Amino acid sequence: MNSDLIIHSAKSLFTRRTRSSLTILSILIGIMAIFTLISFGMGLSKYVTEISADMGVDKLVIQPKTMGAMPIPEKQLSQDDVDFIANVKGIKDVTGLMIQSAKIQPDEDTKPKYFFLMGFTTETEEMEIVLELMTVDLDSGRMLKKGDKLKVVLGYNYQLPNKIFEKSVRVGEKILLNDIQVEVVGFFESVGNPQDDSNIYMTYEGVEELLGEEQGYEWVMARVEPGEDPQALSEKVFDKLRKFKDQEKGKEDFFVQTFQEQIEMFTNIMQVLNAVLVLIALISVFVSGINIMNTMYTSVLERTKDIGIMKAIGAKNSDILIIFVTEAGVLGLIGGIAGVLVGYGISSLAGFAVGQAGYTFLKPAFPLVLIIGSLLFATITGAGAGLAPAIQASKQKPVDSLRYE
Amino acid sequence: MNKEVIIELKNVWKTYKMGAVEVHALRGLTLKVHKGEFLAIMGPSGSGKSTAMNMVGCLDVPTKGSIYLSGKDISHMRESRLAQIRGKKVGFIFQTFNLLNTLTAKENIKLPMTFQDIASEEREKKAEQLLEMVELGDRMDHKPTEMSGGQQQRVAIARSLSNDPEVILADEPTGNLDSKTGERVLDFLKRLHKEEGKTIVMVTHDRRVAEQAQRTEYLKDGIIVKNLRR
Repeated sequence: MNSDLIIHSAKSLFTRRTRSSLTILSILIGIMAIFTLISFGMGLSKYVTEISADMGVDKLVIQPKTMGAMPIPEKQLSQDDVDFIANVKGIKDVTGLMIQSAKIQPDEDTKPKYFFLMGFTTETEEMEIVLELMTVDLDSGRMLKKGDKLKVVLGYNYQLPNKIFEKSVRVGEKILLNDIQVEVVGFFESVGNPQDDSNIYMTYEGVEELLGEEQGYEWVMARVEPGEDPQALSEKVFDKLRKFKDQEKGKEDFFVQTFQEQIEMFTNIMQVLNAVLVLIALISVFVSGINIMNTMYTSVLERTKDIGIMKAIGAKNSDILIIFVTEAGVLGLIGGIAGVLVGYGISSLAGFAVGQAGYTFLKPAFPLVLIIGSLLFATITGAGAGLAPAIQASKQKPVDSLRYE
Repeated sequence: MNKEVIIELKNVWKTYKMGAVEVHALRGLTLKVHKGEFLAIMGPSGSGKSTAMNMVGCLDVPTKGSIYLSGKDISHMRESRLAQIRGKKVGFIFQTFNLLNTLTAKENIKLPMTFQDIASEEREKKAEQLLEMVELGDRMDHKPTEMSGGQQQRVAIARSLSNDPEVILADEPTGNLDSKTGERVLDFLKRLHKEEGKTIVMVTHDRRVAEQAQRTEYLKDGIIVKNLRR
């Protein structure tokens, strides 16, 4: 293969600037769309890998089944359930999380808002499980401790002005929760999504003080003993709890999952969504392939005489083939480069925008494999689309081509 | 004259199908071209002289009959093989110059060498040498569209020589040029014949142009009707 032929191919693209740029634009759009979507998909995978490592894989989650699509549990899990799970062999620690909603306002004159109120334990070991699952630590102030009742720790966003309330909330401030005055003792770090960053946290006693006694749990989390297989244990816990609650097989009002499974469920949904979008974007690349093919057929026709001349001066069929395939490949590559650049810009912007909206976990990732893969894909699409026109060009008879005007 | 035969057409027929009608462009043409010879083929339009030229230049294969180039039968060769042979052994000069307009003069001359996989530095050197020879050393990086017809034809002559072929085929080389420029182009051809010992086959319908050749073959209705030696 001769470098001169490649240079000639590139040059001939340049002589038909308008048509080449339009073709390149069509590839650009397709590659840009794919690049952008995959960069988010990859960012998501990276995030999930990171939180999986942070949260550890030694946890089980026991949740009541919800009614239909609504996140309202049929029946919450009770303290008895939690105590029972704690006694299953292989379980190290168990803790329950109360999840209710509460009306919150800095003072009587401010319009209230409604957010999730989480009640959790003050036992160190058990609290650790909760914190690990939330992947956050305290940002400022102090943690809830035994004996705290009308004290709250708030999500990160309350500290920001004009985020939840106009005025930012500070440690030590008194606010109203369901019209009862409580003291803010601390703030959590940002979780990265606006829901969790607006949560209100209290001790069990605090929640019960506010909402009444005998609150059940929406979430029960357990840590397995080191060396135990969480998957096997989750099946065991499920089975034993069913018997304990005297429920028929298949009619349980709760379910048990390893934390890994939970993450996978969430990721699978996101990845499927991402894959669907990528598939749609693939259609646009396919269309741009057709566009390249069309451009190349026109180019072959226009240069029929040139093909004849080149054959007369000794070009083999394979030389002609190479010239046209290269030309199409170069079209693809240029479109690919532009697509990656524009895609990079769009992803970064979009990542910044959703970050601003509070979803900081939705960050695009740009690994080298994505960049090189996109360029390769664009080039191969171009060359592939150019193949049929190139074969047609290479098979032209020199005498006929020379006579063509 | 050197008696070695370089091109030989034996009873060559070429038939084109135009719809239901068969057109015989060549009807049993027999012709020998000797090494180092300057041959002109003359004839009215439609006489088959261009078809004959294409056969001699391995651009086309006959319907019937055989063609030998340096003793090798090329009438049944595959296109890619033919391309290699004509790239190496034959240099073409066309009436309409047929340079690639996207390339400069020098690049046009380098192209046949590119197809023969000749090293880049050598291509460069040879192209410059040839351009000097046709007295266009100052036009190397000009595109064909920036040159006069005579200049373009001289670039074409230089291109035809780039692979140092044994045979130069010129199809109405002066047909698109005024008489003065035409003469200059003819002078180059004669020089190639005399000084470099190239075999030249030229198709023309111009008697005065044909007079420059050593031998003229007259073609009519696809067959040689008479010949003339000088």
